[in-house]
Amino acid sequence: MAESEIDLNKTYDAVVVGSGAAGGMAAHVLTSRGLQVLMLEAGKKLPIEQELRSMEWPYNNPHRGELPPDRHALTFNEYTIRNPPYGPGFEKSKHLHSYIGSSDYVKNIVVDERENPFTGTNYAWVRARCLGGKTNIWGRLALRLSDYDFKAKSRDGFGEDWPISYSDLAPYYDKVDLYLGITGVKENLPHLPDSIFQRPTRLNCAEVTLKQSLQKMGRVLTQYRAGVTTDGLKHNKYRSRCWGRGACERKGGCDIHAAFDSPTGLIYPAADTGNLTLRTNAVVREVTVDPQTGKASGVHFIDSQTMKDYTVRGKVVIVAASTLESTRLLLLSKSRLYPNGLANSSGHVGHNFCEHVMGPGVTGQVKNLVGKPPTLDDGRPGGFYLTRFRNLTEKHPKFIRGYGFEGGSGARMFPQGTDAHGFGASFKEEVRQNQGSYIGMGAFGEVLARYENYVDLDPVVKDKLGIPALRFHYKFGDNEHRMAEDMKETAQEMFEAAGFKITHVSNRVLTEGWSIHELGTARMGNDPKTSVLNQFQQSHDVKNLFVVDGSAFVNASCQNPTWTIMALCWRSCDYLADEFGKGNL
Amino acid sequence: MSKNEPINLKQDRRQWLKASATVLGASLLPLPAVAAEASQAEAPPATPQSKPAGGKTAAPFFTPAQYALVEELSETIIPADSHSGGAKAAKVADYIEQELRESTDDSRKSTWHEGLRLVDLMSQHYHGKSFVDSSSEDRIAVLTVLSDNDHMTDLPEVRFFRELKHLTVRGYYTSKIGIHNELEYKGNRLLLEFVGCDDPAPKSS
Repeated sequence: MAESEIDLNKTYDAVVVGSGAAGGMAAHVLTSRGLQVLMLEAGKKLPIEQELRSMEWPYNNPHRGELPPDRHALTFNEYTIRNPPYGPGFEKSKHLHSYIGSSDYVKNIVVDERENPFTGTNYAWVRARCLGGKTNIWGRLALRLSDYDFKAKSRDGFGEDWPISYSDLAPYYDKVDLYLGITGVKENLPHLPDSIFQRPTRLNCAEVTLKQSLQKMGRVLTQYRAGVTTDGLKHNKYRSRCWGRGACERKGGCDIHAAFDSPTGLIYPAADTGNLTLRTNAVVREVTVDPQTGKASGVHFIDSQTMKDYTVRGKVVIVAASTLESTRLLLLSKSRLYPNGLANSSGHVGHNFCEHVMGPGVTGQVKNLVGKPPTLDDGRPGGFYLTRFRNLTEKHPKFIRGYGFEGGSGARMFPQGTDAHGFGASFKEEVRQNQGSYIGMGAFGEVLARYENYVDLDPVVKDKLGIPALRFHYKFGDNEHRMAEDMKETAQEMFEAAGFKITHVSNRVLTEGWSIHELGTARMGNDPKTSVLNQFQQSHDVKNLFVVDGSAFVNASCQNPTWTIMALCWRSCDYLADEFGKGNL
Repeated sequence: MSKNEPINLKQDRRQWLKASATVLGASLLPLPAVAAEASQAEAPPATPQSKPAGGKTAAPFFTPAQYALVEELSETIIPADSHSGGAKAAKVADYIEQELRESTDDSRKSTWHEGLRLVDLMSQHYHGKSFVDSSSEDRIAVLTVLSDNDHMTDLPEVRFFRELKHLTVRGYYTSKIGIHNELEYKGNRLLLEFVGCDDPAPKSS
């Protein structure tokens, strides 16, 4: 890709803060509409293929794929027992990472927790500071939302409806599907609309058994809908089609970029238009404001390597730093005009924080697969998705909203079943005979967007660059815990009905944040008193300010958010470019 | 793509569908070599490798006698059988040596040093011989005592057994012998088409 130097004397048409799914999409749409875009990324540009090494065998890795000994990734127990800021007490490790950083292939992608502290309630906050952010390592499940989500309040009375309907977003989901590629199978479900799918993956025998058993219960199991191009993308020279190599399950990413990532999917093509300037190591600490007009005038950033301060001007500022970092930036951008932070006349910035609750799940064994010759089960981007079945046509007595399960089965590079008792010849034989017979799934459920779940700035604690840290006031509520009970029960029922022998049931709700789906802290709405952004992710208060990441969500739904973040962002940036052309910003 | 040119997504999609169909056969790279057991089956070196990945010389964690004991312990956890080599052939002791040499966890290190001593004491007590000099039946008997009580006590030798099993399992199933010979793992290769279930209605019991 062609890179150009930042010009600090220039006023860019748009300054985009962040380079993940949202920032990348903003860059793609706006550069293709002819705007001069400056993208600022807080982290560095990594030699990403060298980091990911997707086909490396464990025996060719110095630590068999695990972290070097001077690094530690936080575990569930540590998140539960210790309190933020996570760091004190882990002095034996030179670098401390969030739980997702527990592999040699992601160690340079996720941040060091000590350099980026936060305070308040326990939270497994996963942050990736590098070009492309978390899209380098995302789980790739790419689902659409429906009017069951956009109009959830109209259905059950809780929270707010979105200011858009599915029909507003559907054309943009189509654009995302076609531009980035997605694999899956059409199911014609009203609550989980189909995408424009490329070549599907295939279910293996245990998964087919479960699917057929679920059909009798009126429930739908479908192939993992992955944001992966299985046929290839002729318009993108940076990405290969999926070759079913099967390292998709390990904590890492796709070094041939068949799985979507923002740099190869969006940013490099945007740079090829000649309209994009990219500046990495640029930690934006404030959106600046013109005191005369009250509009955003640009941003103030710190170079993380030299610690030098810079300001740069933009006609439009687009915040896309990930839900919680975007929120932090708005709260940091206090001025005489905006004493509560930018875009915050409603007082809702930081509030209505929501995500997905995880933990309950089940593992089982399929008896007739024990002892079968080894099969190839993991040469695909994912196993299956078991779609939501609660609170669609019937009302559950104990909770509102719903959940789905992600799962898979079969042989893996590192076998399941090694936690079995014993040792010796029989242990070895058992691991080998059982390796292809396991099937498992875990739930993702909607966490209600509640005003009292929020983040604000810590008055004392600052990060390595001296920027105030975020403070969490966030806990799962009764609805989530009752839903988690139901997840656990239905998971077991469905495995029993399929004839599987249940070998493990997960009861524990994982730490808040585990889903890496934080959402909602700058929500959209029609009423400026109760929302931060309008339906085009434009600030009600500051009309040349847009917040285009997951913070704009009105509720979390139970579907994974990345595809919706990108569809919303495309729609908003189309609007932005139209308004920009008319001189309305 | 040239500057400001609108993207015709539908057109593009048709084109690349066609294009990917034509290059499919040609682009299929040879599958990576899978079996490479010959060199692995050789006897491990008498003294453990003492050079870490960084090139700096570090003192070996195990003495030669301890290394020999770790080899026999790991082989007792995962032995060679008619199907494939065991922990010794897979050089699991080298993996454990490196893990401990590089570890920053002193309590873990002392668990190992203490555990090796205690296991040998057990062997002397039960069979009048060191673990290395014992028959495989006697070795199994010693580890069975630890394995059968691994949830009942936190004695150092029990903690050691859990660590021994954990690292042996980890080292073995990430080795060439473990992945290719023992499990006959089929993945981590380029596939023309996804593999799935050919029997649409398998019975599960």
